[in-house]
Amino acid sequence: MLGRTEFIQTISKALGRGAANPADTDIFTTSASPDQEAVLARIKTRSPAERKQLRGIIEQVAGPLHIDFHPEDNLQDIAGSIGRLIRDKDPEWGTEKSVVRWDHPLLSRLNLESLLELDGVPLHTTDSEAIDNATKVSATEQQVTVREKVEASFIGITSADYLVAATATLAMRSRPGHARSVSLVPAIHIVVVEEEKLLANLEELYTLLKWDPKEQALGLTNCLSLVSGPSKTGDIELIMVHGAHGPRELHLFIVAGKGE
Amino acid sequence: MSEITSAEYKKVAGHSIADPVLQSALESLQSRLGPATQNLYQNLPEGQELRKTAHGYRRKAIDNLDILLETLADNVHKNGGQVHFAATDEDAVDICLAIARTHNVKKVVKGKSMVTEEIGLNHALEEAGIDVAETDLGEFIIQLAGEKPTHIVAPAIHKTRQQIGRLFSEKLGTPYTEDPPTLTFDARKALRQKFFTADMGISGCNLACAETGHITTVSNEGNIRMSTTLPKVHVAFMGMERIVANLEEQQSLLRLMSMGAAGQQIGGYVSYIGGPAAEDHCDGPEAFHLIIVDNGRSKILADEEFREMLCCIRCGACLNVCPVYGKIGGHAYGSAYTGPVGAVVTPLLFGVNNAADLCTGETLCGACRQACPLEINLPRMLLALRAKLSEGDPKWEVQPKGKFEKLMFEAWQKIIQRRKVYNGFLKIGYVLQKILPGQDGMIRRLPFPFNGWTNKRNLKPLAAKTFMQRWKDRAGGKP
Repeated sequence: MLGRTEFIQTISKALGRGAANPADTDIFTTSASPDQEAVLARIKTRSPAERKQLRGIIEQVAGPLHIDFHPEDNLQDIAGSIGRLIRDKDPEWGTEKSVVRWDHPLLSRLNLESLLELDGVPLHTTDSEAIDNATKVSATEQQVTVREKVEASFIGITSADYLVAATATLAMRSRPGHARSVSLVPAIHIVVVEEEKLLANLEELYTLLKWDPKEQALGLTNCLSLVSGPSKTGDIELIMVHGAHGPRELHLFIVAGKGE
Repeated sequence: MSEITSAEYKKVAGHSIADPVLQSALESLQSRLGPATQNLYQNLPEGQELRKTAHGYRRKAIDNLDILLETLADNVHKNGGQVHFAATDEDAVDICLAIARTHNVKKVVKGKSMVTEEIGLNHALEEAGIDVAETDLGEFIIQLAGEKPTHIVAPAIHKTRQQIGRLFSEKLGTPYTEDPPTLTFDARKALRQKFFTADMGISGCNLACAETGHITTVSNEGNIRMSTTLPKVHVAFMGMERIVANLEEQQSLLRLMSMGAAGQQIGGYVSYIGGPAAEDHCDGPEAFHLIIVDNGRSKILADEEFREMLCCIRCGACLNVCPVYGKIGGHAYGSAYTGPVGAVVTPLLFGVNNAADLCTGETLCGACRQACPLEINLPRMLLALRAKLSEGDPKWEVQPKGKFEKLMFEAWQKIIQRRKVYNGFLKIGYVLQKILPGQDGMIRRLPFPFNGWTNKRNLKPLAAKTFMQRWKDRAGGKP
């Protein structure tokens, strides 16, 4: 079995590396191009009115992507609407209802715990408090607990780092308290994002992730998920069916921006 | 190593053409996906130029593959993942088996991956007593049926809902149904338990990003996210060429790939995975292994004539327009790589002589190049392979075709270069063809060595007057 050195040497040889054929020196970009700077500036200076337009675009593309876009735009109405979803939707497996959400400031502000519609339905949080100053063992225990909660839940509630309007793409990075499985395992995925998180297109998202100093510091993390709509398949006679393995439904709420 | 059955091309193609279910499935597939992809190209915000630009990105990545792979490996290490380099299919399988042993793995869930099919991974894992579940719905159906995929993106399009209904009721014990949503739900239920109990998840890699140290996976079903999130070990396989330098290039390429693969602006689930879950994260695998596979790719890299093939991102767009694939389907190609891409890749990876019929079977019509999101010049490479088959090439261990065929073509070359001689032969042919067996004004059978042309069809006889004579008669030779 070849090691890394030999493997790479084989490639260098195949490429005919040598003094006459060195590697390109401009493979990796080290500073933003003028176009990319312009994209960054456009994102930074986007007005609330322009963000409202992006909201309109999402409303249009949501339908074809089978996303349930909800018109509510303030925390109280959104919480009420989520409550009704919890009350009215049926669990996919078994009869017991249970809901799981990220440990996320925006979701905490919704104060879902006090919803009357919960009517005894447990609302779990994938919190990371338990392992704040603890050992690896308790981290593992925490993971087991989170897994049990997620597997038992029929609704998973998350926010997102960004929401791309043109393709209704959610960008979610893994962080403490933000379990990846909450947007994946439960049959229904509910997302609540702030209007400030809206971007026009994928180019904006990638430019931001790559060149914005704050984003650079965080990096992509060990798992960045881009999600555009609920799970779907066309593997049987090309007939579109939603809910192959991931969520069958994706409900989207956008909290209106401040200072307008 | 997986079993290559490309030598059976003609036989399997014959069966496929005679299969009405497959014929209607292929027609439906091509009539929907082909135009959908073209429509998206035409509406690219950056214009069609993006496809050429993206081809340039890929070509530059391939030309600097040594640097990119080193960078990727360093960055994955930094993120806490482990990188393995496999020169051959056996190496790749052995590395995976060793990881499975270390973690005492009994059950594996897999996302669809071409390279694992290329190296015959499932078979090797099963031999080692490990339960392997393909989780892409199409692959799951194929695995239950014990068949091979017929399309890169839609592996089970050759099966009807009735066949799948019978298969599921037999193998899963579910009540018979031919309702696709119910069938999908039955598979969802069966695989859900597998996801929850698997010790290892295996994925491919659509396109790694060297500068960040992430692989990407793309799916619409969410099965790859499940496979790479729930089990405690994630092993990702990537063909060594599936890499780009940076995020901005990847943005264009992933979009183009989604357009080519499924007529989408972007795949439903795109995941960037750069290592195991951090200790303070509440889920994700505790170990991440990336296995980078050569298995014949460095040989393609070394040959300027075929290096362009390594730019391919395996979206399958060429299958959705190819008139040959549209009739014979995927099985005839005899490997995981089917359609026009298979007709070039299979001979290069598994031996040109072993897969000689693949490149001669294609028509060189050029539809694949137009459909390719990167406009990869497949017809050029098909022609280059044909030249190797004709002339032989020790570098690729190609045995030239028999001397007889070569002599025939040399004679033909001499004849068509001399108009008078050619006309003479035409006259002789016109007289002689009258003694050939005919049917409805057509020639039913040609004598050896031309009989191959009339095996499956009748031939139009030579006209009494050639085009040139008719031209002269009509216009007096003037345009």
